Amino acid sequence: MEPRVAVVGIGHAGFVPISAGVSYKELMYEAAQRAYFDAGIDPRTEVDSFVCCSEDLIEGTSIFDEYVPDQLGAMQRPVQTVAADGLFGLVTGMMLIRSGIASVVAVEAHSKVSDVRSLGAVEAFALDPVLNRPLGISTFTVAGLEMNAFLERTGLSEEHCAMVAAKNRTNALDNPRAAYPARLVTEDVDDSSPVSWPLRELELAERADGCIVLVLAAEDRARSLTEAPVWLLGAGWSSGSPTLESRMWGEADSTTRAAEAAYRRAGIQDPGEEVDLAEVDDTFAFRELQHLEALGLGEASDVAAMLEDGELDVDGDLPVNASGGSLGQGNLFEANGLVRVLECVEQLRGEAGERQVDEAYVAVAQSARAMPSTSAAVAVLANDAGAGG
Amino acid sequence: MARRVAVVGAGMTKFVRRAQETGKELSWEASRAALDSCELGLKDVDAVCLTSAPDAFDGVHMKGEYLSDGAGAFGKPFIRTYVGGGSGVFTAIQAWYTVASGMADVVLAVAEEKMSSTQPHPQGAFLTIFDNILERPLGPNLLWIFALEMNRYMNAYGLDKRDIAAVAVKNKRNAADHPAALLGQGDITIEDVLASETLAWPVQRLDVSPISDGAVAVIVASEEAARRITDRPVWIDGVGWNLDTAYWTNRDLVFPEYVANAARMAYDMAGITEPRKQIHVAEPYDPFDYKELHHLEGLLLFDRGKAPEAARDGVLNRDGDLPSCPSGGLLGVGNPIAAAGLMKIAELFWQLRGEAGARQVPGTPERGVAQAWGDLMQVGTVVVMGRDGASAPTQATPALSVIQTPPFATAGHALSEEEFRSATGAVEHDLDARYAWDAGVAIGRFLDGLEEGLILGRECRSCRRILVPPRMFCERCFRGTDAWVEVEQTGIVQTFSICHVRWDMQPLDEPEIPAVISIDGSDGGLLHMLGNVAPDDVSVGLAVEAVWRPESERTGSILDIAHFRPRGEA
Repeated sequence: MEPRVAVVGIGHAGFVPISAGVSYKELMYEAAQRAYFDAGIDPRTEVDSFVCCSEDLIEGTSIFDEYVPDQLGAMQRPVQTVAADGLFGLVTGMMLIRSGIASVVAVEAHSKVSDVRSLGAVEAFALDPVLNRPLGISTFTVAGLEMNAFLERTGLSEEHCAMVAAKNRTNALDNPRAAYPARLVTEDVDDSSPVSWPLRELELAERADGCIVLVLAAEDRARSLTEAPVWLLGAGWSSGSPTLESRMWGEADSTTRAAEAAYRRAGIQDPGEEVDLAEVDDTFAFRELQHLEALGLGEASDVAAMLEDGELDVDGDLPVNASGGSLGQGNLFEANGLVRVLECVEQLRGEAGERQVDEAYVAVAQSARAMPSTSAAVAVLANDAGAGG
Repeated sequence: MARRVAVVGAGMTKFVRRAQETGKELSWEASRAALDSCELGLKDVDAVCLTSAPDAFDGVHMKGEYLSDGAGAFGKPFIRTYVGGGSGVFTAIQAWYTVASGMADVVLAVAEEKMSSTQPHPQGAFLTIFDNILERPLGPNLLWIFALEMNRYMNAYGLDKRDIAAVAVKNKRNAADHPAALLGQGDITIEDVLASETLAWPVQRLDVSPISDGAVAVIVASEEAARRITDRPVWIDGVGWNLDTAYWTNRDLVFPEYVANAARMAYDMAGITEPRKQIHVAEPYDPFDYKELHHLEGLLLFDRGKAPEAARDGVLNRDGDLPSCPSGGLLGVGNPIAAAGLMKIAELFWQLRGEAGARQVPGTPERGVAQAWGDLMQVGTVVVMGRDGASAPTQATPALSVIQTPPFATAGHALSEEEFRSATGAVEHDLDARYAWDAGVAIGRFLDGLEEGLILGRECRSCRRILVPPRMFCERCFRGTDAWVEVEQTGIVQTFSICHVRWDMQPLDEPEIPAVISIDGSDGGLLHMLGNVAPDDVSVGLAVEAVWRPESERTGSILDIAHFRPRGEA
């Protein structure tokens, strides 16, 4: 992959259930300022292109891309929006750099979901208008169907899902930005209210507001900006079937395809051996297990065994969602993918504080879009040591 | 260095008032036509790029996901990009960088729009494009911004409405030769345009492109793949895009600086130093007739204020010195928003291959430019396309891949207009979308000021501007602003419109007068209404003052100012 692309700046703001008193513009400005400071650049002259990630109905504004340039320092500059999760924005930034049209790109994603008063209705508006919506189902129903199919196929249990929720909420205790840290045990999850069987309340990531801005740079520029670049070794993305009638229930097939492409481009032969930590989608607890399987980090039964043995903990063989994931940090909607990249970058820089993973060289970030979408993206990141110098 | 990238195939559906296909089906028809045009199958496609304008049109949240399988994206890398009205041309840019970056060799780029699903009127989707706190309470509709910009453009250069109407005439006549067109009319005259109903002065009905449904797709390939697929690839030589500030009431609307920025970016990449000599055919964005002229100036193809003369003198005609919108444009072919932009890329593809049939511009053009525009009069997207000098087009092969008759229209249950309107056969759904926005630090204080009867700005001591509406950051200097400043309650009308219709095109009992008012003592301005004044007495440059609601009725809203009236009126 030439030219190589690195993350050279990170900034974030918010990560609270309700960011009261600040507008989405002010939230974005705060995160952007931090990212540009971290990268040591002036956005008005040194960023060639800007990529934002949003969906109109979560913002409550049609053509939301209108309202992004000012607070990013992007006025009268090349700015685009991808209607997708932040990891698709990262992929877009990488393509812009590799095409040669930009050498420094800023990628932004945020959630100001506390502004949405009828979130369930808006989310259900993603369902097929003719076949599904008249049934009056919610996207939690879709998640319940998916979870049941996954457990049925793999033989994993509800207990495994509860363990994921407990692990991630507990991990979040060591993450200062996390919105939902808790000393949770599996019994708490078992005791929580049923949502759409087998899905239970404490297996859902609660919504949060926040913003992340990343600065990407081509290799030559990255070397001059930082002594600790985090390389985007490879990325992949894929859609599946958007219709409930034909999706592959229980399998994260889009993640499988995205991961294969990302590993191929990154030169990863054996992800189970070569990946030191993973930040994966856990907006529903079972999805962490489903996604680890799809990422080729083990058969479902192996993943379950690693979970039981504590190997997915921060001090385990394969720390997964050391950040606390979405369960611990909050569901930031289209920003979730960048939340995972943010954590990978902090870990690979050795800046993750109490939750720092030992010997972190190569990390995988994965994101899956909200139900009923099946789209997913995967990025492989590495520091200089992990990238082979 | 980046690989060369070419367009190798194109196809489209007919543009119609109400398609009986779903958005997925429209996407499929256009994709199929594009693949057929270059004899490829879906298996040959490495990635799919898709665009579509607001989700509100199709009535589906995450519309890109919903459309994806119709656009051939099942199991493939797929991203939906979105830059408002600029999206259609942008999706060709997206396809370009997807290929140029080496991530794909063959890309299917699809633009879909199904506006007719929005009830009671597709304009409803535009009610929420305005600022959630400062503009939406005024009840703005989409026509306002066009009318305000058009008035400013006409006023600045003393333009004759006849010259602007010539664009509508040209495009609707051109569209008479387009097999996919909705509003082709070979015998339309300037008098017809000038006699049409006034919607929001100076905008009249025939100045405006029609609400439409439709889809367009193009196939974009790397040089190696392109040479394998066709002996006449049309190269994407240059791409550019640019987004201006969202504070549109702080800008001079007379010139689209963002289009010029995007054009310079694309011309630089294409090695174009003299666009007026090196561009042979243009497809500028023409949702309204004046916009085509505005954009030709933004594309640096005419001096400022001079494009209307060119329209008058026939320079822009198909056989003129610079054929502009030979397709018939949005005014003639139709305006399914995102699809209309990609239609312009498809038209250049056909024109540069000599395959445009009755629409073919004479003189074997070698290079063309397509452009789209959108958001709050704010985004420009530009693509320069060219053919190999050696591959002179063969004039004899009109090869427009239009799906003339939907292949399965007769197999399904096609709703009659009556059934559609009565909803006995249509599936209805009202979206329960409720929001409560945090006004934030800057606008929160601004609203408090309004409640106190004050207009407040923020000072940036770096660029020495007083910002109204206030913000905690300066978008030009990208630094925090420094202090609150109370500004005057008077201002100057920068531009105005006299609007006769509501957002759903129903007539108003009394016309309303929206205006952009620059606020004295600041470098900013506000959108608001004029009152206590007869429409005939309003002019650009009029000095006005705020009329406040009684203190007891103020709520901390932009509506605490009832309206602005001429200064000194009691």
